[in-house]
Amino acid sequence: MNEVLKVEGLSKSYKKGVLAADEVSFTVGEGEIFALIGPNGAGKTTTIRMISTLINPTGGDAFVDGHSVVKEPDKVRECITYLPDEAGAYKSMKGIDYLYFMAGLFSTDNETIEKYVRRGVDMCGLGDRLEEKIGGYSRGMIRKLLLSRAVMTRPKLAIMDEATSGLDVINALDIRKTIKKLAKEEGMSFLLSSHNMLEIEYVSDRVGIMAHGRLMVTGTIDELKSRFNAANLEEVFERTVQGNEAGQSV
Amino acid sequence: MKLGNLFKKEIKELLSPQAIFSIIFTCLLFVILGQFMGGVMDEAINNSTVNIRNLDNSEFTEKMLAALPDYGADPVIITEEGSLDELGLKNLVIIPEGFGDSVEKGGEKIKLQCVSLVNGGGLSSTMSSMSASSLIGSIYDYVDEYTRTERLELTEEELSLLDEPMIYAEYTEANGNTVEFSANMLQSVLMTQSMIAPMAVFFLVMMAAQMIMTAISTEKIDKTLETLLSAPVSRLSVLMAKLLAALVVALLNAATMIVGMLFYIQGMIGSAVQAEMADLSAAEMSADGISQAAALSELGMSLSAGDIILFGVQLFLTIAIGLSISLILGAMATDVKSVQTLTLPVMMMTMIPFFLTMFADVNSLSPVPRLVMYLIPFTHTYTALNNIMFGHMGIFWGGLVYQLIFFLVCMYMAVKMFTTDRLFTMSFSLDNRKPKGRSREKTAE
Repeated sequence: MNEVLKVEGLSKSYKKGVLAADEVSFTVGEGEIFALIGPNGAGKTTTIRMISTLINPTGGDAFVDGHSVVKEPDKVRECITYLPDEAGAYKSMKGIDYLYFMAGLFSTDNETIEKYVRRGVDMCGLGDRLEEKIGGYSRGMIRKLLLSRAVMTRPKLAIMDEATSGLDVINALDIRKTIKKLAKEEGMSFLLSSHNMLEIEYVSDRVGIMAHGRLMVTGTIDELKSRFNAANLEEVFERTVQGNEAGQSV
Repeated sequence: MKLGNLFKKEIKELLSPQAIFSIIFTCLLFVILGQFMGGVMDEAINNSTVNIRNLDNSEFTEKMLAALPDYGADPVIITEEGSLDELGLKNLVIIPEGFGDSVEKGGEKIKLQCVSLVNGGGLSSTMSSMSASSLIGSIYDYVDEYTRTERLELTEEELSLLDEPMIYAEYTEANGNTVEFSANMLQSVLMTQSMIAPMAVFFLVMMAAQMIMTAISTEKIDKTLETLLSAPVSRLSVLMAKLLAALVVALLNAATMIVGMLFYIQGMIGSAVQAEMADLSAAEMSADGISQAAALSELGMSLSAGDIILFGVQLFLTIAIGLSISLILGAMATDVKSVQTLTLPVMMMTMIPFFLTMFADVNSLSPVPRLVMYLIPFTHTYTALNNIMFGHMGIFWGGLVYQLIFFLVCMYMAVKMFTTDRLFTMSFSLDNRKPKGRSREKTAE
């Protein structure tokens, strides 16, 4: 499998020596859905933001389709889309105008823009509501709009922080199905982060468990379950994090 | 009690550290302004000394001068020759030769001369010319009373003289020139000129600052900024688009506001000036006087097209400074409440010089407050028109250069912020009040 994302010893330390991410390394293959899971403050968002070129690493590097986030952030931005946790959209814009606006940032060619927007319209399933202002949308509608925005340009890697947080079951299921379908049918790669173990177990091919800024383990769900002798991902997660804390306190 | 419980919670929420800071700041601002204005008022009152030069030396005039305190005037008698500036005076009323004779025996109307020095837009200049006018009033009263009581046997001509015992001519000195023009009227004209500009600047900067601050902080809080900055678009374009859009809207607002304000001032002061003009001409006082424009130009105070363009450049620079500071501050916001707090520095920088320059002449402040005022970049814009009119070109150019440097520094910081990860890490450090360093990640997660 071709590697779309290769993360090598990525670190971020803030002043006063706080390490938000500590030599994180993993890879994401083409058409693969990789999920970072971990408790609050584990360093998931910091890692994701570094890969999204929003914050600069203080050590290591990450390569998206061979482009370094440190040396060629512009090239990286052409290959990725990023959906932040609890992101909003411009409330005074109509849904359709938002799709046009965002498509216009990825291409200057009108035909390509039209193609992106058509795809976005099909994927979000908002129909006529796209003609309304985003200010009147429900949380689920906004998330669907943002998700379709993130995938309409067929990025090599779509990065999604808590893709379904705060959504009802139906909306969350819709989004998970869309992600799976895009990975399987179109070979799009996904880097997700989530607190929701059920979701991760359902949607991802491989997971990485983070705690205290470090990536503790990576592997497929089945691998991890058998390695930790766990019935589900929640148990794997619990044992990894507890094991890490026990190790730290010694 | 449930209401009490709820009330306690609401009070706690509203009295955040930011709110308390705003309250203390506002209080301090007023205390400082009050102290300062007190000083200005004292100075203005001290400046209200009125001076008189007696060229007549008749017994009547001597008696009149001695009696003037009973008529509400206590002028200082000046014997030295020279212009007001040379003598260090703010005003001077000149009693011409033959004044006493004319009043006692009748004859030609006497021309009392009243000269006022105008050297700034502040309150003190206005006060000094007002007190000179009040001295004229006292002289008028004395003469009027004398004529009525001492000279009861009157002819027709004498009666008319009784109605109008004298003509007085007002002179104004500025920039080393003297013209026959009422200093009060000149001040009114100056007010209209030097009020429109600062008011426009004040509203313009405040509006532009608020606009861009809301825009950038909303983008940051809604995380649309993260989406934008992870898209294949240059960060400089994102920054420039924001600045330019805010600038265009601010200028549009400014244009409408200035038009509105012109109408307002026309209605408020314009009519007062016109009424004064009408009164004066009725009293035949401006018969040999000159128009406002001519007076300003003779005093070397009229604004040329070049001056106006210079001021336009400065106005543009001022808005640009306001925008760039607000952009930096707005980008530091983490929530709606912090936006309010972050607005304070810009408010302070626009409000303090605005109120001060309305009443006082910055150039006449003592060195330290003057330096503090001139360190605030917006002060230079508020005082620009006065500096141009009174020929303080050194201060004007210095201010313009200072503003340009200030703007470049702000822009450099804004660009730096957008092109590095400070935009996101700076908000982290704002949250860094928690005991455990790593918990800063909490907000990020």
